[in-house]
Amino acid sequence: MENNPKNSRREFIRKGSRISLLLTLGAVGGFSARNITHEKYVWQIDPFKCTQCGRCATSCVMTPSAVKCLHAYDLCGYCDLCGGYLKPDPNKLSTAAENQLCPTSAIQRKYIEEPYFEYVINEDLCIGCAKCVKGCTSFGNGSLHLQIIHRICLNCNECSIARLCPSDAISRVRASKPYLVKGSFTNDAKG
Amino acid sequence: MKNKGIVIFLISLAIVIIVVVTIDYISSKPGELPANPYALGMDLFSRTDTALIMFNEKRNLTINFSEPTGLCISNGKIFVVGDQKLQIIEPNGNLLKEINFELKPTCVFASPDNIYIGFRKSLTILNREGLKIANCNSFSDSTVITSITERSGIIFVADAGKRIVRKFDQTGKPVGEIEGKSGNDQIHGFIIPSPYFDLAFNSDGDLWIVNPGKHSLENYTPDGKLRTWWKATSVRIEGFSGCCNPAHFAFLPDGSFVTSEKGMIRIKVYKPSGEFLDVVADPSKFKDNVHAPDVAVDGLGNIYALDIDRKMIRLFVKKENR
Repeated sequence: MENNPKNSRREFIRKGSRISLLLTLGAVGGFSARNITHEKYVWQIDPFKCTQCGRCATSCVMTPSAVKCLHAYDLCGYCDLCGGYLKPDPNKLSTAAENQLCPTSAIQRKYIEEPYFEYVINEDLCIGCAKCVKGCTSFGNGSLHLQIIHRICLNCNECSIARLCPSDAISRVRASKPYLVKGSFTNDAKG
Repeated sequence: MKNKGIVIFLISLAIVIIVVVTIDYISSKPGELPANPYALGMDLFSRTDTALIMFNEKRNLTINFSEPTGLCISNGKIFVVGDQKLQIIEPNGNLLKEINFELKPTCVFASPDNIYIGFRKSLTILNREGLKIANCNSFSDSTVITSITERSGIIFVADAGKRIVRKFDQTGKPVGEIEGKSGNDQIHGFIIPSPYFDLAFNSDGDLWIVNPGKHSLENYTPDGKLRTWWKATSVRIEGFSGCCNPAHFAFLPDGSFVTSEKGMIRIKVYKPSGEFLDVVADPSKFKDNVHAPDVAVDGLGNIYALDIDRKMIRLFVKKENR
């Protein structure tokens, strides 16, 4: 049988196309496989975007909300006059109920030494209303900030707070980094 | 009879449409929710009686900085630092000189002879031509330099990280510290909750240092002994609010204090004795939750405020009918 050069060229192109297709499919498959992860995703609040609108307290499917106030102690001034603990223009810098800003008295004020006080959040009482966060941001260093507590959060497929958040401060993140906690001004990394 | 059925159908359809539209209208959407039941009303404190505002904003100088940090005025020239540079500007906005650095300066002070540039953990001394005379790195890891002043050859450096004022000679050699502690029960050393710690000499040569955690201004002898102090704690206009105010201050030619506050931004004037006098600029002049503007005063008593967020120097001049 005579060897037809036209047929062999056509065969060569056909084989080449098949191999190229296979290689492309393999590359795309491999690339996709690299991005497959078994890691879970969770909801996270960016405290730098949060505008303390109060919806975390009213819109979460959990009662009380899975959003709680967190305290960045290294950022706190431990002030006697704390804008997050005391109402603006309080009668006295004391723990009296009429002077407290928190509607549920979830912040405990502990004397350390003159004139420093430590402020501790009672998570069971906190409803995530962000009233203290507003006070701390307006008058202080912004050490009080909101975070979604993942042992309480149901991790809904569509977070009802994220849907209503006016500042888009809530987003899905990998479960390996569930919290975005504020840092200190003496920390070089944070500036 | 056939028409009657169509009419009933159309009426029913109209009712359904009205119900759907009404439900959609009253349903929860961003921006349509009821008011925040936990809102912290700040309007009462951020609104200022206009009768108290005794200064007009006369002009603005836009500056070529992405992050300005400090301002001072000396011999009719404006010194601004930020980014990695110092700019010397005439009051009309004409740029006289620009000097670049490897690090980002945090503050500046210019004496008739020298220019002192504070960085986060170091101090550089330049002559008025901008040539480096000395450098000082004798600081600790936690140092955060926020302000500098100089008198009789001694440089006073406010270290917010260590909560002390450090003293150096003109070669950059340490010659002492001021801790701000005294036997007085009311005064407890410097309480610096955030990197705002300012100091300045008035025209009488008195050293005044802010104790922001106590809302006080304290007068010290150059060797660090407390001479006198005054404080004004209140969220109302006549006082200083929050954790750490005033953030910056300067002196008018008559010795009155010009103070600048962070959080609820306010620039005000206090008498040399510490009594509240005037408002220069109220919170409505600034964006919400922005940096406290550094302030400086020229020989005529005009007040210059470094608006860090708008990246401009704003000039406030006393109203003429005063």
